[in-house]
Amino acid sequence: MVMGFQVALQPGNLLFCFIGVLIGTLVGVLPGLGPVAAISLLLPTTFHVTPVSAIIMLAGIYYGAMYGGSTTSILVNIPGEAASVVTCLDGYQMARQGRAGPALGISAFGSFIAGTIGVLGLMLIAPPLAEMGLKFGPPEYFSLMTLGLTILTFLAGGPMWKALLMAAFGLFLGCIGMDTLMGAPRFTWDIIELSDGIGLVPVVMGLFGISEVLLNVEQSMERSIFDTKIKNLLPDLKDWAGSIFPILRGTVIGFFLGVLPGGGAVISSFVSYAVEKKISKYPEKFGTGMIAGVAGPEAANNAATGGAFIPLLTLGIPANAVMAILLGAMMIHGMQPGPMLVKEHPDLFWGAVTSMYLGNVMLLVLNLPLIGLWVKILRVPYPILFPLILLFCLIGCYSLNNSIIEVSIMVIFGLIGYLFKKFEYEGAPLVLALVLGPMMETALRRSLLLSAGDPMIFLNRPISAALMLVSIFLLAYPLVPWLRKKRAIVPKEENEG
Amino acid sequence: MERFNNDQVSAAIWLAVAIIICLSALRYDLGALASPGTGFMPFLAGLAIALFSFIGLVHGTLRRKQGVGWKPSMRGLKWEKPLIVLAALFAYIFLLTPLGFSLCTALFIGFLLRTVKPQKWFVVMAGSILTALGSYGVFELWLKAQLPKGPWGF
Repeated sequence: MVMGFQVALQPGNLLFCFIGVLIGTLVGVLPGLGPVAAISLLLPTTFHVTPVSAIIMLAGIYYGAMYGGSTTSILVNIPGEAASVVTCLDGYQMARQGRAGPALGISAFGSFIAGTIGVLGLMLIAPPLAEMGLKFGPPEYFSLMTLGLTILTFLAGGPMWKALLMAAFGLFLGCIGMDTLMGAPRFTWDIIELSDGIGLVPVVMGLFGISEVLLNVEQSMERSIFDTKIKNLLPDLKDWAGSIFPILRGTVIGFFLGVLPGGGAVISSFVSYAVEKKISKYPEKFGTGMIAGVAGPEAANNAATGGAFIPLLTLGIPANAVMAILLGAMMIHGMQPGPMLVKEHPDLFWGAVTSMYLGNVMLLVLNLPLIGLWVKILRVPYPILFPLILLFCLIGCYSLNNSIIEVSIMVIFGLIGYLFKKFEYEGAPLVLALVLGPMMETALRRSLLLSAGDPMIFLNRPISAALMLVSIFLLAYPLVPWLRKKRAIVPKEENEG
Repeated sequence: MERFNNDQVSAAIWLAVAIIICLSALRYDLGALASPGTGFMPFLAGLAIALFSFIGLVHGTLRRKQGVGWKPSMRGLKWEKPLIVLAALFAYIFLLTPLGFSLCTALFIGFLLRTVKPQKWFVVMAGSILTALGSYGVFELWLKAQLPKGPWGF
């Protein structure tokens, strides 16, 4: 850890950390450009810096966006990014009642507390988990990745079949390109760019960046921001009394949901809100401006960012789309995330972890005094803003490999993402499956080679069996109420008939 | 279209996609369970898509019987705006190499500013020229992004 501070406190790394959290906050403030698109966009700019500085900056964008996202939720009722959707419910109502200041203040303090505890948790849990990861073979990796995908589809909104379908399609997309075991090309249609597979960045920028713009431009594009002066950013004692336990609960929920592949900031903020509402003495007041409804979810989404780094840094498995891009960034810089990372590159591991702590301090300093500036940025009309967002996506995608084909893939996935949203399909399972697909395929085929084709290998080994059984339980769980409901419907129909 | 709901239509499309994937995967070697081949995983993914889209089709049909019909997702929206944006994006892709980054970007920004929610000509001109110059300065000169140059050398 001392080594981590030595690395993170180097002037260059401090600067990159600052740039990361500043851009992250800006990205969080601006609706329509999330951390996934922003990290993808800025990935090529890190090619000229050291791997440690690159990861510090890219990680800063991620947790910075979580901070910034709350500002738009509270002031405009438009979440800057998905993890701040819940903050709209009570944060905006607080703003309407003239309490935008305490809402923004508790959001910043809650984020700081949770982010800090999340980093401490990461420091404590990651090294022993990395040791455990050394014992993992192909069946354990396959089962763990299956569990990650299952959790994501289980927690996704809408019918589970849609989420599973998206995950399966993501697995197929992951198969495009060179077969890593046999060296044979698949589904490349003689396009050279596809021999390395469909790039994650074009897909993510299309699904989340371009499609979001397409959805926004078909609406009126008007938004109102409070003209009243924002005051009393420092919450008073009553505010603190109503917030401190939601912050602590949100931190625990966010951290552990963040650790699970497929969990993450969005889900943890919803779970935290649900928990606060459930245990509150006044659940009926949620949605009318309860400070606990802001403090809990904001803490949860920030703690989740710390937790999400654990599977990436210790097992090499990204927990969400942002971590998937960070995985790609590390590999571009010659690092292989996984159990050996802590031993082989302690400077990167501890430097990145401690920089998150410093980044949290920077964010607290940035967010409170600069709220006025963020509000001014929010006043930039969307008709002026969206061409710039599109241009950033185009340049970011092109500059990855100077490839027009990849830009075309991005635009095509923008259209696909737009249709997905119209037909209520979620993009997140697709992205996670696209990232995990090649790793899952390798683990599956190696496991079957090891067992001479016996699929029971996944159930004969204890860790793999435990992970697989949880996946099976989660997959089977929705069928139970469906069967009950079905049984209830049939007699009713029979009676009516 | 009114005879079916959104889930039925989308699940049917997915089923067709799954069949195409499975048939295409058969062109590669599927191998055996003891030594899976190149086509094994895509075939498995295709089968999974087929299974879940079939579940979706059944689910959609049950909901149709319960009275859930087609939900028009474009009603009340300015659906022509996304079309304009998409057209501009594809035009940018086709024109980027022949025209070069700066000119193509200026035209792209100017077109979007003028058409999607029409701005004054001054805003369109200033916005497109400043954005093209600014992004050229940041990405080409500062970040060395190697953007395409047109016949004019920029």
